[in-house]
Amino acid sequence: MSILVSAKDLSKKYGSLTAVDRISFEIQEGECFGFLGPNGAGKTSTIRMIHCVSPVTSGELAVNGLPARIDNRRLKMMTGVIPQEITLDNDLTVYENLIVFAHFFDIPKHEAKERIAELLKFVELEGKRNNKISELSTGMKRRLLVARALLNRPKLIVADEPTTGLDPQARHLIWQRLRQLKKEGATLILTTQYMEEAQQLCDRIVVMHQGKILKEGVPSRLVEEEIGREVVEVRVPKEEDEWLVAQLSSFSCGHERVGDTLYFYCREGQGLMRKLIELNLHNYLTRPATLEDVFLKLTGRSLIE
Amino acid sequence: MNLSYRIYYVFLRNLVSYKRFVIPTFLVSLIEPLFYLITFGIGMGAYMGYFGGKPYLYFLVPGVLVSSVMMSSTFECLYGTFVKMVHEKLYDSLIATPVSAEDAVAGDIAWAVFRGLVSGILMMIVAVLMGIIPVSILSFLLLLVLMIFVGLLFASLAMIVTSVSPSFDFFNYYTELIITPMLFFSGVFFPLDRFPAWMKTLAEFLPLTHAVKISRAVFSGAYHSGLLWDFLVIFVLEVIAFYISLKMMKKRLIK
Repeated sequence: MSILVSAKDLSKKYGSLTAVDRISFEIQEGECFGFLGPNGAGKTSTIRMIHCVSPVTSGELAVNGLPARIDNRRLKMMTGVIPQEITLDNDLTVYENLIVFAHFFDIPKHEAKERIAELLKFVELEGKRNNKISELSTGMKRRLLVARALLNRPKLIVADEPTTGLDPQARHLIWQRLRQLKKEGATLILTTQYMEEAQQLCDRIVVMHQGKILKEGVPSRLVEEEIGREVVEVRVPKEEDEWLVAQLSSFSCGHERVGDTLYFYCREGQGLMRKLIELNLHNYLTRPATLEDVFLKLTGRSLIE
Repeated sequence: MNLSYRIYYVFLRNLVSYKRFVIPTFLVSLIEPLFYLITFGIGMGAYMGYFGGKPYLYFLVPGVLVSSVMMSSTFECLYGTFVKMVHEKLYDSLIATPVSAEDAVAGDIAWAVFRGLVSGILMMIVAVLMGIIPVSILSFLLLLVLMIFVGLLFASLAMIVTSVSPSFDFFNYYTELIITPMLFFSGVFFPLDRFPAWMKTLAEFLPLTHAVKISRAVFSGAYHSGLLWDFLVIFVLEVIAFYISLKMMKKRLIK
């Protein structure tokens, strides 16, 4: 497989604020690549540079062998963007939104009409064709954004938090559609704060924090490497930490104290759990380790604002 | 500058959305100038007697024609563009397509010129119905061309204001401190020669003054070489304003 996007020492500054700080990565053609990170980590800034709406401050960024610059119409021609904010045209109907957008890509009218019919079916909005945008639910609006991003049959699809604010049904529908697109050969770049979303969709992810890439890898492997298989959360007063950690040292689990909870990261949680019961500690919770644990471990559990 | 034929697509987007607003915008475009024609033209005209051998309305109509173009194109690029840019984030989705920021802004300016033209034509129809008719078909056509130039100038100027505007309230400075005084100091309602010298000098700096002069001359067929200067002022100003508006809007849109 060839490399579709490559970044080397890529930086983005807004005045004195460094949003992206000398990051390097490569995205293969046909894969789904995820940028994870808390608010302000630099995810959106990074992908805005990739889809050529934000100028690169320094470093190199190439997409499909072409430099990603704001005036690169050839790259915009082959890219579909699902924005974070709902940027639909409220003055127009669902159909008009799509036909007007098809113009922007120089799609001939008859072809655009066929494509719109296909896409409305794809996102299950056939019945809403002549509705105004204000008559759609948030889920429908997001689906329309997906349809709009696909008008030009993009080789590269950039989705910036595509399921923010959606109910589970709508979210799963969007995931299914994105997976289907990947199956059809599109390359997907995703930013998300939902770890489940990254696990559902991404072949590879990077975790970003304060403009830097902290970790890169395959989601399931990252979880195993960074956390283990299971997490045991114990709610005990802080003063008992030392004692408890000593009691459980034989299980060789990593541990971390955050707020009212002591976390143990284990390859296998059974033994530790039994020991907890023996110690008469019942206020615990055991669960499989997730990408969220990786994320929190890497970016810190305290609030980021 | 990264302009392309895609300006037309942006114009077309506005045309598609306009369908729903045709009636209210026609009404607004008509009522304001109509109000001037009735209050000033008929009400005051009764006391004004004849201007250069013709009723006052012949003096007033050419001025109101260009000022209605000014108003429409100004408001379109202030409020219309601001809503699309800040509230609806339409520009954000536009510039993610092969439409460049310059295309998008120029498309909106072209649209404002069209809106100005529509207002001017509506005004013309009212004037004709009142019996105030341009001297020839050529005059009529030249007036249309003038309206395009006037629209482009004021659309571009308004776009510059929009590019630095933090909110709607900011527009009041521009409309109240620049546009409204312009309306009263450009010889739309009264001949400038009755004003004191300093006011006449001031008026020369107002682009609408030059538009009114041309409009009035063309309306009655009284062409003279001084009009070339008036046209040059408008033309040079609008080329500069158009260029600056694109640059400044791009700066606002692309971060």
